[in-house]
Amino acid sequence: MTHLSSETFGQNARDALRDPILHGALRSLADNFVERRRAAVSSVDDWEGLREKARAIKDETLLHLDKYLLRFVENAERGGVVVHWARDGHEACGIVLDLVNGAEAKMVVKSKSMATEEIHLNEALESAGIEPIETDLGEWIIQLAGETPSHIVVPAIHKTKSQIADLFVEKVGIDKTGDVDVLTGTARRILRRKFAEAKVGISGVNFGVAETGTILILENEGNIRMTTGLPKTHIAVMGIEKIIPKFADLDVFLKLLPRSGTGQRLTAYQSLITGIKRNTDDEGPDEIHIVLLDNGRSRMLAHPVTRQSLACIRCGACLNACPVYQQVGGHAYGSVYPGPIGAVITPQLIGISKAKQLPYASSLCGACREVCPVKIDIPELLLHLRAEIADGSRANPGRKKQFGEMVAFRLYGAMWSNARLYNFGTKASRLMQRLIVRDGKIGKAGRFISKVIPPLGAWTAWRDAPAVAPRTFREQWRGKLESNDGN
Amino acid sequence: METRGTNINENARATILASIRQSLAASERLDRVRSEHHHASENRSSVGEQIRPAISQDALIENFRINLESVGGRCVIAKHENEASDYLRGLISRRQMKLVATSDSNLVKRIVESITDIEFIQNASTDVLFECDLGVTGAQSAIAETGTLVLESEAESHRLTSLVPPVHLCILDAGKIRQTLGEILESVGAELSPTITFITGASRTSDIELTLAIGVHGPAELHVIVIAD
Repeated sequence: MTHLSSETFGQNARDALRDPILHGALRSLADNFVERRRAAVSSVDDWEGLREKARAIKDETLLHLDKYLLRFVENAERGGVVVHWARDGHEACGIVLDLVNGAEAKMVVKSKSMATEEIHLNEALESAGIEPIETDLGEWIIQLAGETPSHIVVPAIHKTKSQIADLFVEKVGIDKTGDVDVLTGTARRILRRKFAEAKVGISGVNFGVAETGTILILENEGNIRMTTGLPKTHIAVMGIEKIIPKFADLDVFLKLLPRSGTGQRLTAYQSLITGIKRNTDDEGPDEIHIVLLDNGRSRMLAHPVTRQSLACIRCGACLNACPVYQQVGGHAYGSVYPGPIGAVITPQLIGISKAKQLPYASSLCGACREVCPVKIDIPELLLHLRAEIADGSRANPGRKKQFGEMVAFRLYGAMWSNARLYNFGTKASRLMQRLIVRDGKIGKAGRFISKVIPPLGAWTAWRDAPAVAPRTFREQWRGKLESNDGN
Repeated sequence: METRGTNINENARATILASIRQSLAASERLDRVRSEHHHASENRSSVGEQIRPAISQDALIENFRINLESVGGRCVIAKHENEASDYLRGLISRRQMKLVATSDSNLVKRIVESITDIEFIQNASTDVLFECDLGVTGAQSAIAETGTLVLESEAESHRLTSLVPPVHLCILDAGKIRQTLGEILESVGAELSPTITFITGASRTSDIELTLAIGVHGPAELHVIVIAD
């Protein structure tokens, strides 16, 4: 399949809306995950307090990120881990490639990592003649299919069991089956051999603890334990924002992340890795490398609104809750990170001019903000980015100001900030709207509006605009007061 | 080659740190303005800091059992190590297991000692481990509120034995169970092993149509024998 672009979100979304298979999958995602999350959240005494605490920890870290990052590196290195710094994806891929070549590996096993998706590590490895094998079941499926993940937590959510069975018939030569256990068993059988053979395992990181140099990785399948435990070399790719200050802070995040992501109290496995093994005979890799990735993250620190983006712990709850994501799925965003969080971090990572449509891929309903375990105000971020698109910035000149639009908004502003003009405007609109109102709404029936004032037509092309009520609230209020006085 | 790599890394490190500091300096003025407008949430309730009443060992075992079973794990309470041996012997013969891997824990050694009809392989090589039907290990502690086993690599060689075979049997001393994750983080944090693994139930996935499938890469079954003598 061809990969979609963020620049064509509108068209991607319209195509996705016509895909019944995708809709079935997304409906089950909403039914399952939203409900499971709700149940898991209620098993915590003070969920709100926990969110506040998590956000406070993240804010403190981000405000002193240089200090905590250096502390993390110092402690990780003390434990024998080799730390590498990568300014961008290209540099990160180069570092990983050198390490893989150094280990004389022709094949590497990989566990699910959004950071490695972000830097397109698989393509870089492949073009250097190294075979990367995704080992998370969902990631393996989409790798076989030559696709990209459509969800942060369940990457193959857009595919049905039957499509996956067909894929396995074609790519790994099994008989067609409708049994999920057989499909899962096939992945187990094939990937076990890879785990046993691989010289290098590549993973992501969920949290890096500054105080101890520990990296923590969560999972359910066991492929991360295999990836980090069996090969002689373990390479972990980690965004610089994954740092938390203290080991005890893990308590807060381990309560929030699984509940928000999959509705579990705890995922099946957590691996806490603090340095390399102390005796050569012990289990585990001989070498551990951590590749610290900036790739546009440090820039996000420059404004308190954009800085919030770095608090994200990649749980995926905002995707599941989002009415837009629920309708169009992940691929329509055309970016590595989909959904509400993708709509805010993608323009910041790849440049706003390449993802101008994404900040508009939201109705600003605020469902994402409600479920976010670290209280990121995603609607605020979307508006901030929209303002940047409209007004322009140094990085992005923005679009040319239209004279007519400027005058219209000046008039609008003047009207709404003066009580008399406002009252007059309400009355005038009530008279004028008679021409275009049908059933109390200004909608498609009122096509007329687009003929009179063309730009306004766009407002009602996809939705109805409410008409001015026969009696405004102020008029009703005044009437009520008068009748009360009469009593 | 080596020097080139180091140079690039030094440059990258310096650039990234400079970029972080520059961005933070740029946001400082905006942060001041915002903090005047938004009163940051102060005096929030403290999470997990309330004093909990001491919980009896019986209640801890019971909590652990309930929560482990709620994620599909099997839990057996043994009054004595002999009972643990009996359970293990039963499991091996019922399933006709041929190859059983064990960790180097003394507790595990004592449990398997009396079982003579099968050979146990301690610290099996990776190749052999992939052929084993069962892995038997101990655990350094456990979390009752989530039914979680805590494995510390410095104490025992159980990282792969608990992972690779399709069935994992873990023998746990009841005295090592704590109620909360917070208590465990505090105790393991005091002297961190290079690898600590938390295990809650069997390996699982919902990657195909969100249908739960058990035993994708790790063990499909988790048995825990709690020795409460």
